[in-house]
Order: sequence, then structure tokens, then C-alpha cells
Amino acid sequence: MSIQSLFSTGVRSAAVAGCIASIGIAGYASADETCQSPYLPKITGQEDFVYIWTLGIEGVGDGSDKLVTVGANPARADYGKVVATLSVGGRHEAHHGGFTDDRRQLWMGGLDDSMIYIFDVASDPAKPALIKTIDDFVEKTGGVVGPHTFYALPGRMLITALSNRDGGGKTAYVEYNNDGEFIRTVWMPKGAVYGYDIRVKKELNRMLTSSFTGHDNYMRNLPDLLGDAEAMKNFGNTMVVWDYHTREPLQTLEVPGAPLEIRWALAPEHHYAFTTTALTSKLWGVFRKDDGSFEAVELADIGDPAKVPLPVDISISADDRFLFVDSFMDGMLRVFDVSEPRKPHQVYEQKIGAQVNMVSQSWDGKRLYFTASLLGNWDGTPGEDPQFLKVFGWDGAKLTPAFEIDFRAEGLGRPHIMNFGQIDFYKGRVARADTSGRP
Amino acid sequence: MKGSSGLTGTAALLLWAAVLWLVPAPSLGAEPERLYELPRPGSYQLPVIDRVSPHQLLDESGETRPALDLEPGQCAVVSFVYASCPDAGGCPLVLATLRKIDRAVAVRSDLANRVQLVTVSFDPERDTPERLAMLRSHLDPSGEWRFLTAESRAKIDPVLEDFGQDALPLVAADDGESLGIIRHIAKVFLIDSDLGIRNIYTTSMLDYEILLRDIETILLPGAGD
Repeated sequence: MSIQSLFSTGVRSAAVAGCIASIGIAGYASADETCQSPYLPKITGQEDFVYIWTLGIEGVGDGSDKLVTVGANPARADYGKVVATLSVGGRHEAHHGGFTDDRRQLWMGGLDDSMIYIFDVASDPAKPALIKTIDDFVEKTGGVVGPHTFYALPGRMLITALSNRDGGGKTAYVEYNNDGEFIRTVWMPKGAVYGYDIRVKKELNRMLTSSFTGHDNYMRNLPDLLGDAEAMKNFGNTMVVWDYHTREPLQTLEVPGAPLEIRWALAPEHHYAFTTTALTSKLWGVFRKDDGSFEAVELADIGDPAKVPLPVDISISADDRFLFVDSFMDGMLRVFDVSEPRKPHQVYEQKIGAQVNMVSQSWDGKRLYFTASLLGNWDGTPGEDPQFLKVFGWDGAKLTPAFEIDFRAEGLGRPHIMNFGQIDFYKGRVARADTSGRP
Repeated sequence: MKGSSGLTGTAALLLWAAVLWLVPAPSLGAEPERLYELPRPGSYQLPVIDRVSPHQLLDESGETRPALDLEPGQCAVVSFVYASCPDAGGCPLVLATLRKIDRAVAVRSDLANRVQLVTVSFDPERDTPERLAMLRSHLDPSGEWRFLTAESRAKIDPVLEDFGQDALPLVAADDGESLGIIRHIAKVFLIDSDLGIRNIYTTSMLDYEILLRDIETILLPGAGD
């Protein structure tokens, strides 16, 4: 009898889980915030706040990048309202960010000047505080530029990047400890030098990275870029499979057209991941083969690839059934049923706005949050440049509008990545019927 | 205490004892299927993640002693638990894994006496030295394994802060009553003789074979060559 099977027999119930085994132990079904690191505590139930990292717009409000806190709990008086804003001063191409493994800090990055802002979201979840700024990222990491994905590991933060000092796409991922101190840089391997996202499948001791383009391209006006054939050659066409423990690159997979966000299926026994390619508008799967190696398989079109809908963010449901895919140029959400991961099919579509980028899903899959902004110089390419947060209910078949906030009218800026907060999580308050204590 | 709650101390210890007794020694154990190859010791880097400070705590005989007492060429495996933990996949799994390390190191002439196991309770009000002594006797370590607590939670908190170990007592949302459960991600820390944290494990990926290879990687130059 194995340890894990021993432990999963007879002793696991809703009442017996104060000591968190993180997630993923056999027999434990988790309904979690689906796109966060597996090393991150999950908040179950209704989120109270959504934290939105927002890029400043000249002439709109103070014009600076800021962390915007929006009330998200219908039971609270601040539902659907801006609860707090915290400007960091200046525009840094605010983009992505993520929580530390204790969920007490929220790290947010700037793609242009590689600034990193660390917010305390635990002391007062309704009013995050800026506690540290990392302004020497490029120097400390040995020339890495454009911090992108912030992914919690135990006691440290894994950060991918998009570029380097020369503005091209050769890049690395780096590690910092939770005090904000640099640990190491791991450059992308030969033949797969571009970077974008990074995600761990702990049951397999494997990590996947994807690839985009460098500073020269992502800071450029999009129509100009699309018309520059030489520049358009400088996009990633690869994903890399890594040994997570040793950080050794094991395999390079050909995935043409800039594979961006990566989502591993969440069930421990589901040994596959999905991505979408920005330039070729395809849904891809990365599947573990019987020999332990991986294959990348083109699975489906996203909209009409000839119209370049530019798929951007994706989100997988907690039960591995649905994949939500946003595409920027047509402002569409498309939902794929991925129950049979090699045979996904689209089951729903809905126009969210003239443009849409990020999608975030609540812990229970009942609420979907969308923001409009992709990159400061790419926004507006579809012809209009609305900047919104839109929130919907999801019943498994369709979206129902809940609330929206016009970030221009509110003087805020371009809303990008979203993360959730909850007061009870930090106070240790749980329902008596749910004393699992497993975030 | 009403409603669902943490197990009582005695019940928890009995559960742990049953689990630990049933967990086979490394040489006998049927491990869960491992879906990855084990790393070759010394073939990879374990850079210092952070450094911890010296701390004084109570051992299982009630004596104050250093939490870590490492000579050059030694390392420590530090875990944080509480004996009332009702989740067999949490603290008991940590201790079962450490017991495997204890047994494996004891029979290695190149590692014996070079690896200290340290288990610290973050529930000192209930985890008295006497209780930890009981736990120690259940585990019956072959090598050095110290079980530490303190006079109060306030004296443990700086240690938790230093290591970055969360431990939040849960209360009922309706009336604030203590539930006797401490929410935490069970972490294990590999510490070198300069008090550098060389790796941090959680129970979601706590493979004693990997931990053993990490120990070899930092203690045995040229290991795996």
C-alpha cells in the first residue's frame, strides 16, 4: 500500500484537513482558482475583491499605472464599485503579476522598463499597500528585460520575461525569493530562445514555457508591426518542456505562431496542457506520451484564422471541461468543450466588446471577469479602444451580465491582469461546514 | 468545541502512530507510481533561496537549545507541524517522509551524522515538550532528530516569519469560535551549514528520494559523477 493511498482511505473528510497538503493529492477534488500556481493557497467561495493591474493613459486621471481594487461580492455594499486605487507613478507598460505562495503579496510587473511593484494584500485586502519596488531587475538578472508571468513556488517567485537588453526576443526566466531578492537566471535554450508563460505540472515534475516576442516588437504600434515582414519573423514558434526540479530543458516542441498562455489540465491524472497561438489562431494541446516525452498537437481553429482574431488569454474550468478563449481583435469569448482533450469543440461564443484580452474565472466557475487591454500600443487596433472591466455569471451554457466599469470614464486607464482577494481568507474565518482549511 | 474541529491531541497522536506504523521503511515500501525520473545528485544547482537566523527553542525534554546546530559539512531538514493536525496528507505525511530520510541516511556511511532532522511545532500551547517526546518515541529515529516547541505562540512566530511558514488558526465565520485547526501549507526546508535555505518542499510534491538527492547534491561534491 502506498503512502498516498493509505492516507486517502478513511481519514479524509471535510472535517479533517487543517494541515494543508496544497492540492493534488489523490482523492482530493479541488475547485480552485483555475489558473494560479499549484503551490498557491486557493480561496474557496465568493471573492470579495478583484485586483486589476492597470496601465496609465496620458490625460486619463493621473495618467499613471495603478492597482485598482474593485468590490466583487454582491453581499457587500462596495459590489461593482472601485474600492481603492494605488498609483505607482509613471507608465511602465503594466501587464502581468501574481501572488506569492502565501498569498500575502501581489507582485506586478512593467514590460517596458522592467519595474516590479510588490503590494501587501493581506493586511487590508480592501486597500492594498505598496511595500517594495524592484528597480534593478535588468541589472540583477544579467540583462533580462520585460518581466511577464509571476508564478508562485514555495518561498519564491518564478518570473518569465519577454526580452533582453538588445530589445530582441532572446530571454530567460528568473527566480526571486519572497523578500524580493534575486536568486538565479535560467536562459532559454538554443533554438527556443523566446519566452512568455511558464506553468508547472507537479505530478509530472514538468514545466512548460511558451514564446512571444521581444521589446522592440511588443512596444511597437501593432499595425506598423504587422506591416513589417522582417519584424514579424521575430516571434516565437516553440514551447519547451523542462524538468521542474533541475530546471533542465528536456524537449523543444514546434508550435508555430507565438504560443502564449499555458494551462495544464487540473486533475492530477490529466497529463496535458493547452495553449493558443496568437498569430495563427489555433488551439494546441501538449500531451504526455507513454514514454514520458511530450507531443504538441494542433487541435482546432479559433474563429477564422484568416481574419487574425489574435487569441490572447485562456482559462480552464476547475473540472477540466471548458476552455475559455479570448481573442483581441474581434473582442470575442469562445468556449471550447475540452472534455475529450484531443477533440475539443466550440460550444459557445459571445462578443465581449470591441476588444478583449484577459479572462479570469472564480473558484467555483460561476463568474467570469474580462478586461480590455492587451498592450498600450496595440489597444485600439480593432478601430475602437474601449477600456473596461466586465463581469458575467456563467451557468455552464451562457453568460449573464453582472456589472461593468468603464475604466476611461473612471479616470483609471487600461485594465489588464486580474487577481482575487477575500477578507475571510486572511482572518482564518471559515464556515463550520467547511473546515477543510485547504485554500 | 462544537461542530467539526481538529482531532483531540490523543486521537491525533493515535492516528499518526497508526499511519506511521503502517508506513513501510524505504527498503520495503511500495512507493506511489513516480511519473518522472529521479535527478542525478550533483547534476543540478540548488542556489541559496534565503538565509535563516539562529533561534532558541525548547526540545522534547524542556531544555532550551538552538533550533539548528550545524557544523560545516552538515545540513538540516526542517519541518513545521502540529500534533493535532487532522489531515493525514499534511503533517503526518511530512513526518512519514522524514522518517524515511532518517532511516535512509542512517545506513549511509557518507551521510550518517551529517543530516539533522528538526521538527518544530507551531502549536506550542498544545504541543508541550512531553507531547513531542511521545511523538519522538513513536517515530523512534535512528539518527539525530530534534523536536522543538516554545513556551508560547508568540515565541514561535519569529521563527515562522524567518522561514516563511504560514500557520493561521481557523475560527468559525459565524461566531468566531476557535476550531482548533491551524491552516498552513506544510513545508519542509533543506538548510545548509551556513543557514542557507537550499530548497523548500510542500506536501504536494514531497518525494523522499528527491530530498535525499538534494542532500547528496549539497553535501557530496562530485556526487553522481
